[in-house]
Amino acid sequence: MTGFVIRRIGQMAIALFGVSIVVFALIHFVPGDPVRIALGTRFDPEIYEALRERAGLNDPILIQYGNWLLAAIQGDLGVSFRSGQPVTGIVLQRLPATMTLAGAALVIALAVSLPLGILSAIRSGSKLDYLATTASQVGVSVPDFWAGIMYILVFSLTLSWLPPSGYTQLSNDPLGWLSHLVLPAFTVGLISGSILFRFVRSAVLEALNQDYVRTARAKGLSQMRVIRDHVLPNAWIPIVTVVGLQLGFLLGGVVVVELIFAWPGLGRLALLAVEDRDFTVLQGTVLYIAFIFLLINLIVDIIYGWLDPRIRYD
Amino acid sequence: MTEAAPERSLDAGEPPVEHRSRLRTTYETIRQNRLAVIGAFFLLVLAVVAVFADLIAPYTINEVNIADRLAAPSLDYLFGTDDLGRDVFSRVIIASRVSLQVGFISVGLAVAIGVPIGLVAGYYGKLTDSILMRAMDVLFSFPAILLAIAILAALGSGITNAMIAIGIVYTPIFARITRGSVLSVKESVFVRAARSLGASDARIIRTHILPNVLAPIIVQTSLSLAFAILAEAALSFLGLGVQPPAPAWGRMLNDAQGFLGSAPWMAIFPGLAILLTVMAFNFLGDGLRDALDPQQRSVIESRGVSK
Amino acid sequence: MNAPAPQQATDRVLTVEDLRVSFGTRSGVANVVNGISYHVDRGETLAIVGESGSGKSVSTLALLQLLPTPPARVEGSATFGGGNLLTMSDRDIRRVRGNQIAMIFQDPMTSLNPVRTVGTQLIEPIELHLGLRGKPARERAIELLETVGIPSPGQRIDDYPHQFSGGMRQRVMIAMGISCEPDLLIADEATTALDVTTQAQIIEEMQHLQQRLGMGLIWITHDLGVVAGIADRVVVLYGGRMMEVASVDDLYRQRRHPYTRGLLESLPTPGPERPERLHAIPGLPPDPTRMPPGCPFEPRCEHAVDRCAEDRPEYRSPVPGHQVACHFEPEELYD
Repeated sequence: MTGFVIRRIGQMAIALFGVSIVVFALIHFVPGDPVRIALGTRFDPEIYEALRERAGLNDPILIQYGNWLLAAIQGDLGVSFRSGQPVTGIVLQRLPATMTLAGAALVIALAVSLPLGILSAIRSGSKLDYLATTASQVGVSVPDFWAGIMYILVFSLTLSWLPPSGYTQLSNDPLGWLSHLVLPAFTVGLISGSILFRFVRSAVLEALNQDYVRTARAKGLSQMRVIRDHVLPNAWIPIVTVVGLQLGFLLGGVVVVELIFAWPGLGRLALLAVEDRDFTVLQGTVLYIAFIFLLINLIVDIIYGWLDPRIRYD
Repeated sequence: MTEAAPERSLDAGEPPVEHRSRLRTTYETIRQNRLAVIGAFFLLVLAVVAVFADLIAPYTINEVNIADRLAAPSLDYLFGTDDLGRDVFSRVIIASRVSLQVGFISVGLAVAIGVPIGLVAGYYGKLTDSILMRAMDVLFSFPAILLAIAILAALGSGITNAMIAIGIVYTPIFARITRGSVLSVKESVFVRAARSLGASDARIIRTHILPNVLAPIIVQTSLSLAFAILAEAALSFLGLGVQPPAPAWGRMLNDAQGFLGSAPWMAIFPGLAILLTVMAFNFLGDGLRDALDPQQRSVIESRGVSK
Repeated sequence: MNAPAPQQATDRVLTVEDLRVSFGTRSGVANVVNGISYHVDRGETLAIVGESGSGKSVSTLALLQLLPTPPARVEGSATFGGGNLLTMSDRDIRRVRGNQIAMIFQDPMTSLNPVRTVGTQLIEPIELHLGLRGKPARERAIELLETVGIPSPGQRIDDYPHQFSGGMRQRVMIAMGISCEPDLLIADEATTALDVTTQAQIIEEMQHLQQRLGMGLIWITHDLGVVAGIADRVVVLYGGRMMEVASVDDLYRQRRHPYTRGLLESLPTPGPERPERLHAIPGLPPDPTRMPPGCPFEPRCEHAVDRCAEDRPEYRSPVPGHQVACHFEPEELYD
């Protein structure tokens, strides 16, 4: 197990390294001068020079990368071209909102996909299975921004049950916080749940078809016990992996939904940065999201390794 | 062992399944899958519509008609009109062209780059494999939509850059699938036999490995097309993809937000178009998978775009 | 109705009559088992021999209602302990499984749950059928492991299946099978996946266990070499039907059915006079979705005449206890 963990950490480090190169390169692929573009009409030669200096853009490229990387490891991601504020601070400020949304969406997704997925697999071919599978096929195909807009149409504009957008602090107004969270969380959660459903179903189905299930039945175990003691413990393992992957995607993938619901998270930050041509902020955001994604993947892999005795006891 | 060795002298049993009849069985399997057939049919209709869009659409895309603005769906305007009095139906039809175009070209790009990478990585293994797959892992570390946005931020908006961005985002999955297939075939008996007979690497890849790798690639192509269209819609929703005056489903949705209360049809129909197209590709992809390669793991499915 | 009482009154453990199993498939109804009848007595070993697809595994799975019933359809009767296994309620058949009739399977790696310890899996039937819990259950499990020849059973009981070798895993399976001292043990290709030495060991141990416990044993295999070493009587299956039923001695000495002959003759024989080529039965096994009305072996039989394709042969009994399904008397075919 220890060897496994060390190898995975090593892999993550390499991937992170690669990610840093890509993120760093982003700013250099911009045709033209990124700082000048960012400043746009507010161009001022002094600010221009200062920003260029601060972003290290005057140094040769390898040195730039080295400095940038070192600073990044220590938590310094430069300053915003727009506001001059440190990027790290801006990103951290927005992080909780995105995590809340991703977390809530995942809860909804699991609540939907786990029971339905397991039942559909056990009663494969039944009406329930057919309905659930078809529903999930629709769910997987729905554009999340359209779903969000439709929900707003129905629940906010037509029925006036829920607010169409915005965010309130949990500490200020718990009920308000919840009511603002519902629509965006369901928008993402139902779609994510559809993806998970298909996977849960196939994982359980595959476990059901294994020889050891036949052995368990041949010993006289009831269907319930077979599922509880033999099918599910095996099915959990691949399911955990996918759930982890989904969480990772949710963190960065809620971009458009955050925009529609004016949710003050990382995704919206990234989009605003793109609009403003604020490349350092964009870099910082993307780097953070990728880092968290890789971290989640690592944790998921370790959990997977721990759950599977073939890896744990080796 | 005392099993009788089968010979083909007598008439018992089926003749060995040849290459041609495998195509037929695939076709038959898909034909029995109702959803896949519906999907395929829809796509066919969509393709025809896209090609002949100019002829089918009753109005041109920017035919402004202020008097009729924000009109509800009617016989004159099948999907209603938008805030500038433009016929939503015509715009949806013509925008289909963009979506299909971006979808096919970007996936084509992903296949053209990803498959060779996967082939080389899988076949040559060791260091080449490690390096190539680490590179793919790096691309996998970003949520798809975010990566596309970042690329477009660097390169600038526009339809060409959108195709490049989406293509890059989908390259790793094709590389991974191809590599997986290659690995499972590489150690099979007939490849080892060919190699022992002195066949060159390129020849082995071409004649033995490629045909077996084809099935998962075909399945993945259909599924990726579905997500590529979603991606294109998301990007144009954000104003990053296709630029005006060319209409795009995603951008129409964006424009519709301000008029959600007064003219909901502006948002409903373009979104419906996206939904149906993506569903059709997904149905077809699922059908292809069941017919060609039922064991393909659905880890692939867990990778959404705007999720 | 309570679980059937274990056999005391008679020696006959199981009587199977006209068992038929068919499956609905995409290409039509597959008739996998087409009317087989046999019996097993206490302390006796019956071998069921056939090629893959002959229906041998399916027929025994049907006995314990282990086939999913759509798409499978099971007909006939299987009398055990005063009841019919095929029509028992779910509760009743579960009390029989692992308890009075146990089954062990071919591939011990896939037949054991990889994420649970061997001990947990072994204790399951012990808890379920014998009512033991906790320490006594664990002790019995350790005893069983020792009986089947697993060293350091006290420690190995907490190991996972992947930590055992193939032969050891199969012994674990056997331990699970005999854990509740069944009246009948069904071994489906139990040694096929093992190397020859381990095979021999396992077979020997099975025979000891059988003697000790006085169980009936059904041994399913395609390997006629194994049959000679372990069986008392043999059923030869082909196309879901019995071609020949005989005691082991009779079968080997006086094989009567053309198929049995073919099987025995295709066994490579060691010795100074080696034939130039291996004798093989030409042709392929029948397609269960297109079973012919006559003798299923007809397409491959060198003695076949028109009648063989149309009429299903009745059983002839040249010698008591020996049955052959063929239109011809053996004397007519062989000199």
